[in-house]
Amino acid sequence: MTQQTFKSAKRRYHRVFWPLMAVYTVIVLAGSYTLNQLDPEPQWLQALLAIGCAVPVIGTLLVMLRYAMETDEYSRLIQLKGFAWGGVVTVSVIFVIGFLQLFHVIDNFEIFWLGPFFFIAYGVSTLILNGGKQC
Amino acid sequence: MKNIIRALRSDRGWSQAKLADQLGVSRQSVNAIETGKYDPSLPLAFAIARLFEKSIEEIFDDETEAQAAAE
Repeated sequence: MTQQTFKSAKRRYHRVFWPLMAVYTVIVLAGSYTLNQLDPEPQWLQALLAIGCAVPVIGTLLVMLRYAMETDEYSRLIQLKGFAWGGVVTVSVIFVIGFLQLFHVIDNFEIFWLGPFFFIAYGVSTLILNGGKQC
Repeated sequence: MKNIIRALRSDRGWSQAKLADQLGVSRQSVNAIETGKYDPSLPLAFAIARLFEKSIEEIFDDETEAQAAAE
């Protein structure tokens, strides 16, 4: 009934995760190079590359969620708690930065960095919850 | 919840990884169950019981229920 649940889920996760990361790297590098070659940079191409970079990241989030749903019950608990803590910490940071901006303490903040911040918060939470081991 | 999985596993000379493989879960899951950090779901508890050819009650010790009954 539970045979190979964990291993097959892990295999399915890696089978999609690494190609997505490869696509992401290629789009970021090729996109930056292409834009640097063009003067002026066409706005439609900038928009296309920006969305193109975001798509594999969104795909990665969905693959992480799929892994959490397909893996064994203990790993699922750890993954979902990691998502929850990562989300709580990231939203907390968003509120702090948001209020600092509203009260004119800080000016512009690159909202992009909240994405990587979530992944770090999720990763650290998962490691802590799993006693320092990858799940 | 206390359990005797570690003892049953040792009797058979299995590693945590081997038991995890047979149950289709991660080694961390087996470790968490053995140390009482995590209580398995009913289907997993049944799978463990079937594997060791014992009843769930023989493997898992519900201390809370035992204490309540004693009081």
